Amino acid sequence: MSKIAWFPLAGVAVMASIGMAAGLALGGGAKAQEGPDGAQAYIGSPADVARGRALFVGTCGAYCHKMTDAHGDAPFLFGCDLPLARTDQMMFHTITHGVPGTRMVAFGGAIPDDDIWRIVAYLKTNSQCKPVR
Amino acid sequence: MVVSFSTARGFAVSVAALALAAAGPSAAETAAGSAAPPIEGSSAPAAGAGAVTLPPPPTAWYADPGVGAAAPVAPEMLAKGTEDPARWLHYGGGYRNYRYSPVSSLTPASVPRLHAAWSAPTGTTGQFEGSPIVYGGVMYLTTSYDRLFALDAKTGRFLWRYDVKLPDDLRLCCGPANRGVAIAGDHVFMATLDAHLIAFDRRTGRVAWNTKIADYKDGYSVTSAPLVVGSLVYTGVAGGEFGAPGFIDAYDAATGKLAWRINTVPTDAADPVARTWAGDSWKSGGAPAWTTGAYDAGTDTLFWTVGNPSPDWNGDKRAGDNLYSDSVLALDPHTGRMKWHFQFTPHDTWDYDGNTQLFLVDAMVGGKRVKAIAQPNRNGYFYLLDRGDGHFLRATPYVEQLTWAKGVDAQGRPIVDPAAAPQENPTARVCPSNLGGMNGSWSGAYDPRQGLVFAPSIEACQLYVKGIAVYVKGIPFMGGMPNTVDADAGKAYGLLSAIDVNTGQVKWRYHDPRPMMSGVVATAGGVLFTSTMEGEAIALDQATGRRLWSFRMGGSGRGQPIVYQLDGKAYVAVPSGGWSSLDALAGAGSMQPEGGHLFVFSLDP
Repeated sequence: MSKIAWFPLAGVAVMASIGMAAGLALGGGAKAQEGPDGAQAYIGSPADVARGRALFVGTCGAYCHKMTDAHGDAPFLFGCDLPLARTDQMMFHTITHGVPGTRMVAFGGAIPDDDIWRIVAYLKTNSQCKPVR
Repeated sequence: MVVSFSTARGFAVSVAALALAAAGPSAAETAAGSAAPPIEGSSAPAAGAGAVTLPPPPTAWYADPGVGAAAPVAPEMLAKGTEDPARWLHYGGGYRNYRYSPVSSLTPASVPRLHAAWSAPTGTTGQFEGSPIVYGGVMYLTTSYDRLFALDAKTGRFLWRYDVKLPDDLRLCCGPANRGVAIAGDHVFMATLDAHLIAFDRRTGRVAWNTKIADYKDGYSVTSAPLVVGSLVYTGVAGGEFGAPGFIDAYDAATGKLAWRINTVPTDAADPVARTWAGDSWKSGGAPAWTTGAYDAGTDTLFWTVGNPSPDWNGDKRAGDNLYSDSVLALDPHTGRMKWHFQFTPHDTWDYDGNTQLFLVDAMVGGKRVKAIAQPNRNGYFYLLDRGDGHFLRATPYVEQLTWAKGVDAQGRPIVDPAAAPQENPTARVCPSNLGGMNGSWSGAYDPRQGLVFAPSIEACQLYVKGIAVYVKGIPFMGGMPNTVDADAGKAYGLLSAIDVNTGQVKWRYHDPRPMMSGVVATAGGVLFTSTMEGEAIALDQATGRRLWSFRMGGSGRGQPIVYQLDGKAYVAVPSGGWSSLDALAGAGSMQPEGGHLFVFSLDP
């Protein structure tokens, strides 16, 4: 659970982390799992995955999400430890709504939904997380 | 049974009622007891039926009656800077930014006797970049997430404290840093991550005024220490990773009223400067002024530097030089009128913000003494400009690896290697890294007797990747990212270079296995202090760079050390505490946990 709140704002760090984690993992997360998986339309389409990569590189990388599993407040999105993005729908939800108390702002309405799904498709296509057999 | 209450930040927390009933009210009574300073705290919001309402945790502790010297901080004191060793009144030590202390007892012979005197926790994570201010025996210290402490500078005892109540959706590109306060009269001034400027009574900690600089939701924040000249307080803003148009403000120190604002990008298509931006790309051009400036009393000129154009790594839609990004501006401090400008990196596509520390030095050029500005720029060149008119004098590399340009022409314009431009699938290693070289988030120092600037820096190369830039106010607008190949391979390292302002040549270098990302203070005793990403406070011989002393503080060194002297005893204050995300980007990631702590060392007379 410790990685759920990437870096809680100061002062009430522990309590805020618990509060956010509970709210997002149970409330927001459950809601987020409803609805269609828009990434499926783009997974397997090189052009759409490439656009997802270019959007990720241009907006999500650099000072936030790294290409390698380095330490930091922003999760490594190609790994397995993604409590706010266990499913495509949860990842879409987190990108569109942001994560209060962290640097993750809400991109919904700023980046078109189709392009957010392309980002999800890129991340899933390049995931280094292998299912446990 | 479960009950709810709200903290000062508005986070909802659910806990067992039994535990709350036992811990809540009694804790509040203890904190507000007669032995403690008065506490600010508003009534908690009304809770629903059946809920128990607890007071929010305190966020301010005042000192009544006040602490510190009764005499206001006069303009003459500010002009003298660190001449009185009992004071450290500016982020840069003095208006010329030397960060040089006249304390002479800290020598290569004596410094091994330095010992820990006291320490103070910040209680916050994130990089601890503060530079303390000392006046009247009181140290004013800011922490990450905008806490402000007044401490007894001899003992470390907390005198008053104010925690800014920050919103939970800040727009921070690069961590929750705060580099310190300015002081003048009876006030200390702090700018905040949600883009406010707050004046505090320096003796009690009570807020005198609180002015909103900009809407943080538009991408703005402030991480730098303000600067005071005369009756005005100056601050710039951060926001270059959000495309937030940059500006520099002057506020009336007594009232907090805006006196003037100068924009660092055009605000009107008719402005001739708009022609340095393709189309209307200036509207999202960034060019933030996120570090502290300098002041030249001789010409009554304020110097302020400007950061990267937005988007950082995709310049396709902003063809042109993109003024005044990556520049130094010479301003009339009373009106904001621009006297001249010099741009270091025209049409920057590497994130080479032009806002590392300016040193106002007297340097020999062609056999003549010149009143100059020296700057170890983030792009790897050490610049010397005539500070009277901005005339370019010289640029020499101060880093070991510099590939983005093949040199600098006679006018100071870099001769850019086209192969260094960001690409979708880059293969060219480009140096310095996007963080530098030196970076504006840490300071250097200058020894006027030796004519040496001491510049800590990162040595790393990157592959600059270009992506799609989507501009919407308040969301990241970077257009690319660095592929941190050296950092990832453990090849990044650190330098602290002593650069002769009279020649531009490096006299000596201290090598560190990890990037050097901490400030420096130089002293008349010939010893300089800094800290390492390994978590050590270190002392170096100013003449040779030889390592003389160290103390393991634990947290990564990201702050700005200072030196002061009280009752004949020398003190060295060194912040400890990094921010893992940026540390990793620089190639200095480690298992060392975050958490700020100030360490103060002393030398017995």
